[in-house]
Amino acid sequence: MTETVLEASGVTMIFGGLTALNDVTMTLGEGRIVGLIGPNGAGKTTFFNCLTGLYTPTRGSVRLRGAELPSDPAKVTVAGIARTFQNVRLFPNMSVLENVLVGRHIQMKQGPVASLLHGPGFRRSERAARARSRELLEFVGLTGDESTAARNLPYGDQRRLEIARALATEPAVLLLDEPTAGMNPQETEAARQLIFRIRDTGVSVVVIEHDTKFIFSLCDSVSVLVQGEVLVEGPPETVRDDPRVIEAYLGKPREEVEAEVAEAATTVMPRYSDTQAGDPKTEVIDRYREDQP
Amino acid sequence: MSRLTAMVPRTLGRPLSAIGGLLLLIAALLPWATFVLNEGAYPEKSTLQFFDAPFELTGFRWHLLLFGVAALVVTFVPLPSKGRVLRAVGWGGLAISLVNAVFITSEGGGIGAITAADGNFAFGSIVGFIGGLALIFGSAGIGLAEIPRLPDLPRVVEYLVLLVAFAATLWLVSETLTAGGSAGVSSPYAGAVFLAFLGMAGGLLGALHGVGVTGWISQMSERHRAFSVIVLLVCAAALPFTSAGTQYWMNVAGTVGIYAATAIGLNIVVGLAGLLDLGYVAFMGIGAFVSANLSGAAAAKLGITLPFPVAAVIAAVIVGVFGVIVGSPTLRVRGDYLAIVTLAFGEIFTRSAQNNVGDLTGGANAIPSIPPIAVGGLQFNEPIDLFGTKLPSGVMYYFLITLLVALVMAVFANLKNSRIGRAWIAIREDEDVARAMGIKTGKMKILAFLTGSMLAGLAGAVFAHKLGTASYDAFTFLQSVTLLAAVILGGMGSIPGAVMGAALLFVLPEKLREFEDYRLLLFGLALILIMRFRPQGLVPDRLRRAEFAGETPDGKPIEEVEEQAVLEHEHELESSKGSKA
Repeated sequence: MTETVLEASGVTMIFGGLTALNDVTMTLGEGRIVGLIGPNGAGKTTFFNCLTGLYTPTRGSVRLRGAELPSDPAKVTVAGIARTFQNVRLFPNMSVLENVLVGRHIQMKQGPVASLLHGPGFRRSERAARARSRELLEFVGLTGDESTAARNLPYGDQRRLEIARALATEPAVLLLDEPTAGMNPQETEAARQLIFRIRDTGVSVVVIEHDTKFIFSLCDSVSVLVQGEVLVEGPPETVRDDPRVIEAYLGKPREEVEAEVAEAATTVMPRYSDTQAGDPKTEVIDRYREDQP
Repeated sequence: MSRLTAMVPRTLGRPLSAIGGLLLLIAALLPWATFVLNEGAYPEKSTLQFFDAPFELTGFRWHLLLFGVAALVVTFVPLPSKGRVLRAVGWGGLAISLVNAVFITSEGGGIGAITAADGNFAFGSIVGFIGGLALIFGSAGIGLAEIPRLPDLPRVVEYLVLLVAFAATLWLVSETLTAGGSAGVSSPYAGAVFLAFLGMAGGLLGALHGVGVTGWISQMSERHRAFSVIVLLVCAAALPFTSAGTQYWMNVAGTVGIYAATAIGLNIVVGLAGLLDLGYVAFMGIGAFVSANLSGAAAAKLGITLPFPVAAVIAAVIVGVFGVIVGSPTLRVRGDYLAIVTLAFGEIFTRSAQNNVGDLTGGANAIPSIPPIAVGGLQFNEPIDLFGTKLPSGVMYYFLITLLVALVMAVFANLKNSRIGRAWIAIREDEDVARAMGIKTGKMKILAFLTGSMLAGLAGAVFAHKLGTASYDAFTFLQSVTLLAAVILGGMGSIPGAVMGAALLFVLPEKLREFEDYRLLLFGLALILIMRFRPQGLVPDRLRRAEFAGETPDGKPIEEVEEQAVLEHEHELESSKGSKA
């Protein structure tokens, strides 16, 4: 077992009367990729916000290398957790390179006076920051014009730039919020390879995703979140075949639905939609099964 | 513009342009006013006079003549971006004609003044207007090709080109300043002549931009930054030796410089950090009052006399403290609310100064007779002899203010290209994400306020000495808004923009004295027009220009680039499907 980097234990988040998260526990080992899946509204993003200091959990704690996380996004980043956003949030009117340079902010030590005078020390640190930023751009596969405004990049490149910007903070843990949303199969595959390469550099990764195929082929361990609680946790193979997961995430298996329908047919007049071939729910399950590698 | 391009058939492009050029030429030869206007003959022999001696012709008719010839030449020579050049020339001609037409009509008391009256006719302005229109439509037919990129040259040649370019800029600045003379009894047509000159300058710059010259020069100056800065400083220092070297114009240039420095300071707060400050001029005012109190002026409460540099530094520090105080609410309030907080601060300052708080501001009497800055026995308000030229009084202040502007520019540029400047821009773009990047946004915002206010304080200190008085009514809401307008008009986050905006906004009122009653109306109208047709500002920051113009930084239309991207994406999808099957 590798050393634990990030540990969330008993995280409970209550908004007014609503319990968004209930006793969620997750551990992330050094150099591991952990996935977080669950239907809409299961509390994935809330959990993410607890990990990044945007929310302070009502109960429970999040520890990074044994130290309690501060409840301030800026300090969390300094502590070593970087994140991307569900809807890409770059600095749209800054250039590609400048976006990554902003990520270097906490790694640089230029004070106001040095920034005014642009002395040799300043220029050295500026050069180093630029070199590292270009390295990261190349690492994520952005080799185009670095002086383009970020808003003019194609969508997939914007995603990659966001990852480069997060990596620029030199995090111990990288949190990716739906990194493949809106991507085509090729781009998704490229993203998967990129995440593996990130892991290989020693960064531990937490991924939120809807794409189950993507998450099962990527993660060392997967947690399924349903209605604010962890339903199942374990290696992808176990989670994938767990009937509770299939039911919670995708609905009941076909046989059961069919049995129910048959039973219903004997008692009351079946509704039109229940009897139709290509029922949406069963079709989803079919597709889900086909998807599995 | 693209709609216009679709409207005009390609085949009509050239004939229309040729006609436009010809009409501009003819307009320059025709008389412009049918009778002698009330205040005397309209300048440049425009009353009842046909074109007579080509080389005696000066002013707007001479410009129009040159524009006409240029348009004709450009129409028939092979030039890749001739559409852009013709369009610029067209707008220039249109502006010149329109300004004069409106002015002569209103001054002459009717449309007869620019058509036919008393058996005379004078269709100059109308013909010019039509010529300008024809050129604009013609250029739409020809189409707006991409601006060509001119080649890099050997280093020495580039130095020479830069020298010439900056010298030309100096000439243009001095001509613009003096165009029409100082408004008043001596030259009743100053406003119209000045505006027509602006039309010419705009057309000329637009044409140069269309050929790619301005972009070429700005790239060159970026390559040879140190050289450009030195040449620019020398050019600025040479302004008193040109036709603008009179006491009056040095005064105006100095005032413009002070406001330009303040505008650049404001640009840090608004343009970089994105914090809307509606009471910025209060910082300038505090700087002025502090330095006035430390200057040994008779009316000052503190009887302390400090040398100017010391007083200026103290002023900047005290203003900085106020900057931090005003900036602290920014930790809690955003956007509109911040604007209201700063607005309130500005008002508090003005009212306090008006009521002579602590006897420090002199109230309605102001603090008069502040002694001029003196260094080593040299009084800054005296005329001086330099290189055998007698320079008028006010020149020393002009030099000092030039240095001040240079200093503020350096502060702005250095901060912008540093970790702090990037943090500011990140906050402007998306504050939450900036926090997620580890930026301590509160600290950074206060730093922005601190820097901006100190620069304003410094400018205020110089201002008080130059003016000789420190009065609350020089620092009211109107000035704050004008400064903000200068920043937005020139282009947010851009240094040349702030200077140009300040120059325009503080020179225009000087030139439009003639239209006293309509001055603010015209002013507002001009602002609305510029914001409608050039929202990115006159000299925008590179990336911002791209944002507003719908162009990528290298000048390609975004629509085109995006379409290309979509096509590529679809192509990829196709091929990925293909490979799967």
